[in-house]
Amino acid sequence: MKEHSDNLEDLIAAHRSDVHKPPSHLVQQWHDSIDEAAALERGRSGKTRQRWHPGSFFWGMAVSAALALGLAISFLMSDDVPPNVPQVAVNQTHADVVPVAFTRGLQVHLRDSRQQLANMDVADDTTLLVLSIIEQNRLFESVANKNNAPKLARVLRAFEPILLQLAATDIAPEDAEALRAQLSFELNVMLTKLAREASNETHTT
Amino acid sequence: MKTLAKFILITAALLLSTPSIAQSDVSDVSEELKIAAVEALIAAPADKALPLVTKVLEGNHSNEVKERALFILSQIDQPEAQSTLLKVARENQNDLGLEAVRMIGISGNDESLASLASIYENGNSEAREAVLEAYMIAGDKQSVFNIALTAEGDDFDEAIEMLSVMGARDELRELRGKTGVSEALIQAYAISGDFESLRELALDGSDVELQTQAIEAMGIVGGEQVDSTLVEIYRSATAEGVREAALHGMLISGHDAGVLELYRSSQDPSEKKQLLEFLVMTGSDEVWNIIDSTLTGDQ
Repeated sequence: MKEHSDNLEDLIAAHRSDVHKPPSHLVQQWHDSIDEAAALERGRSGKTRQRWHPGSFFWGMAVSAALALGLAISFLMSDDVPPNVPQVAVNQTHADVVPVAFTRGLQVHLRDSRQQLANMDVADDTTLLVLSIIEQNRLFESVANKNNAPKLARVLRAFEPILLQLAATDIAPEDAEALRAQLSFELNVMLTKLAREASNETHTT
Repeated sequence: MKTLAKFILITAALLLSTPSIAQSDVSDVSEELKIAAVEALIAAPADKALPLVTKVLEGNHSNEVKERALFILSQIDQPEAQSTLLKVARENQNDLGLEAVRMIGISGNDESLASLASIYENGNSEAREAVLEAYMIAGDKQSVFNIALTAEGDDFDEAIEMLSVMGARDELRELRGKTGVSEALIQAYAISGDFESLRELALDGSDVELQTQAIEAMGIVGGEQVDSTLVEIYRSATAEGVREAALHGMLISGHDAGVLELYRSSQDPSEKKQLLEFLVMTGSDEVWNIIDSTLTGDQ
């Protein structure tokens, strides 16, 4: 019994020390696939405007799933509550009310995303960083749909094609800068809008 | 008072014009100020923000400033905002027009979304892609499905790719009955995670090329059901191409255990050699024990 308990503790310790990074060869494959999709798209259109390729969406999903799995295991093992995953039940009594807890969680996500994008230059692996933002974004988009917030869900979905373009390793620095500026603007606008709506609700209730 | 001061500042910034400014850094600062002013409009009541945003769109500003203004417009729930977005989308065959299409997706207005169909029909390939993206943002599967029904070539492929990322399994299944099976449709089933449709195609030997594509695509879906089906297909296959496709599927799904199981049960040296090559590609730890055993003559 004690031996079993020791093994379990070893396993938990080993797990906690694990940083949940996907294997490097898989990361390389994802990079290659995203680059290929981006190159394919450029070759097809031959135009300057940055577009995304829906095929790269799949690789975003694959990495998101891997990261989400890592996060989920981590939470289960540590009993910690993730800082910016909304612990919000679907609102069933008031169909048109967006739960306050969800809005607060979303504000944290938008602020974190803005901060991470601003610090992208110093990141070791920008692709992985952007894919982790996409993973969080998808979580919130899914929760937004379940919490009477289709407008917010649409805005979050609109971020993803831009994030996927940013995830490509061969993107030109000036294009990356333009995309980051656009995202930063849209994140700021949404943060201001959410804060204003929260303030209005406080004043009217 | 605070609000009034804000609006005076915003209006002043938006009325600034750049043509007379020669130095690029001064121009950059002016541009940044304008964007900051546009950003601040989100805090304004819709009836005050709308005329200012319209003024920006009609004024002599850069496309970047106008594109930012379009985002503000997408957040204003007024019919005038929708009509302005549609006007910009229709009248501009450039990045600004494409951005307006994206904003119609974000606003999610049913009438405006329906109007995108004519932009898709009359636009170039970039406009068509932008319309598909707008439908994806709005979660409008039916409109993408309608496009896929009549589109051909690359346009068809792009429409069903978009349906796949939207997880529109029912629509993709319906398309099979109307347009037949194609490589693009198989890829769409894989991306949307439709194991059932892929399994059906993987077991249908009437067109070996499509069959092998479906078998490999199953690997993208992954999971226990896929893994066991791939091993089953490998074991029952008579054609070499089908067996190889099953191995590729296992390689893609990362089913090392399945390849290992096949290696251990095989009695055919040439088959064992091929399976060993696949095991090396999977990066399985077990492969080193197998190589060791093979070299020492245990197997």
